[in-house]
Amino acid sequence: MQRSPVVAFLIVLSLLHVIALGRATEERRLLPKADGSAYVIPGSLIKITALEFDGLASDIMFLRALLFMGSTYERKETPRVKSWEWKWFYDTLTASTDIDPYFLDPYLLGNAYLTWGGGMVNEANTLLEKGSRYRDWDWTLPLYIGFNHFYFLRQNEKASMYLMHASRRPGASPILASLAAKLAYKERKTENAVIFMQEILTRTEDEDLKKYFEMRLEYLNGVLLLEKGVSRYKAKFHKVPSNLNQLVKERILMALPADPYGGTYYVDSKGIVKSTSELQLMPQ
Amino acid sequence: MSTLLPIALITYKEGIRNKAFFGVSLVALLLLCAGALISIMVPQEMGKAAVDMALSVISFSGLLVVFFVGINLMAKDLDRRTIYMVLSRPISRSQYIIGKFIGMLFLIVMTMLFVSLLAIILLFLLKMGYPDRFERFSWSLVLLAAFLSTLGLVLLSSLSILFASFTSASFVTSALTVVVYIIGQSLGDMKTLVETPQSFPVGISPFIVKLVQTVYYIFPNLSLFDIKMQAAHNLSPSFSYIVWTALYGLFYTCVAITLAALIFKKKEVP
Repeated sequence: MQRSPVVAFLIVLSLLHVIALGRATEERRLLPKADGSAYVIPGSLIKITALEFDGLASDIMFLRALLFMGSTYERKETPRVKSWEWKWFYDTLTASTDIDPYFLDPYLLGNAYLTWGGGMVNEANTLLEKGSRYRDWDWTLPLYIGFNHFYFLRQNEKASMYLMHASRRPGASPILASLAAKLAYKERKTENAVIFMQEILTRTEDEDLKKYFEMRLEYLNGVLLLEKGVSRYKAKFHKVPSNLNQLVKERILMALPADPYGGTYYVDSKGIVKSTSELQLMPQ
Repeated sequence: MSTLLPIALITYKEGIRNKAFFGVSLVALLLLCAGALISIMVPQEMGKAAVDMALSVISFSGLLVVFFVGINLMAKDLDRRTIYMVLSRPISRSQYIIGKFIGMLFLIVMTMLFVSLLAIILLFLLKMGYPDRFERFSWSLVLLAAFLSTLGLVLLSSLSILFASFTSASFVTSALTVVVYIIGQSLGDMKTLVETPQSFPVGISPFIVKLVQTVYYIFPNLSLFDIKMQAAHNLSPSFSYIVWTALYGLFYTCVAITLAALIFKKKEVP
């Protein structure tokens, strides 16, 4: 048998294979998916069926949740993640941490997305509490719980309690104890949120999460700058500025900061600084 | 001893010569590389995922050797009737069983050493590349986990010899060994689960609870030999845990081999 026709035949077959695989993958993405039926097997059962490979099962559950969240960025519809998908996401992370409760990444992933995107702050805290119980050497998890209580649930007392808790763990940043004390006294929401976020950023290794938190910090810094400007304006003129441009006009600020999320900062009639992008950022 | 060693060596050499041994090594290498790629995807605790993957591959390769190479070494003698050649020599049946077991023990230890070496090289390279993501990592625990895993596999292979001593088809031996492995791995979790019914979504009858508690003392509890999760998070088990687990493995293995020798003595070789 001559060699060249066989080689040519193999090349053609390989090309056809690549085309067919590409098309089939594309078509599979369009397959109808059952909404709301994404049941997650409880971690206790996975632990038994995974035999001695339960650590691996926990990694795989975590990666499924991570890849799912990543894939939603391709979507154009709003809301980007449906409510049953949030539940699936939470259940998957719960199962992953039921199998291996010492695994840090599912807690961080759950905290990053369930709070800011999913509006499931209590669920995020439940996950973090479990993590904090098992990883009793780790001061970051009580720090996150404290932040969630302070920022989302507006429970300063509880936030202060968790920060105290975090500050007592080995290697904790010395700033935590003073922040806890401050929280217990007065409400300086944005300033404290900036300090919180800076602490969280120093502990974040993942580049995507880092960018996510950096943007949030930039946003909060913008709000903080404007809040300070508004209070100086109020002290000077004994009234709330009608709009933020007044701050530049009266030379209180050199320029207005830009909202990294693409919105515009504004001040409401009570003197509270907000942004047009805030609604889509804040949990529903 | 002088009669045991030749049988052990022949068994070991036969196992090494078997092409399946190289297949297992190749599978281990491929799985280790795939595991490394997957663990890189874990952003924070990459070291944990890498250790999970490495130790799982080590255990899995050992299992493949027990199931596909080890079982055949004894069952083949019975299947192909080559056992007559051995038994016609001045070797007692118990010596044959013990010799076979020692040969299998060499084979398992060699495989585990080889695959562990590959895994260690891979972990070392990953740790060099991403030192920040290996915060909680301990070489001694990784090695200890591989050692306990080896003990578990030795126990399992002793059971495969026990099954081969009373069955005449290698398929039955393999099937029984696989079933015992699955039961042995899930028995510990199953016992905890039925004893704490609130964690289980469906009600459990008291009969099942008693059954599981009884079965717990008959089948081997292989999950005791699994400290992969502790190794991945650098959570040292107590010294007494390691000692008791190793002793449990030793006692169970001795019981299985003694039973196998007793049964094989009475067996009518077809």
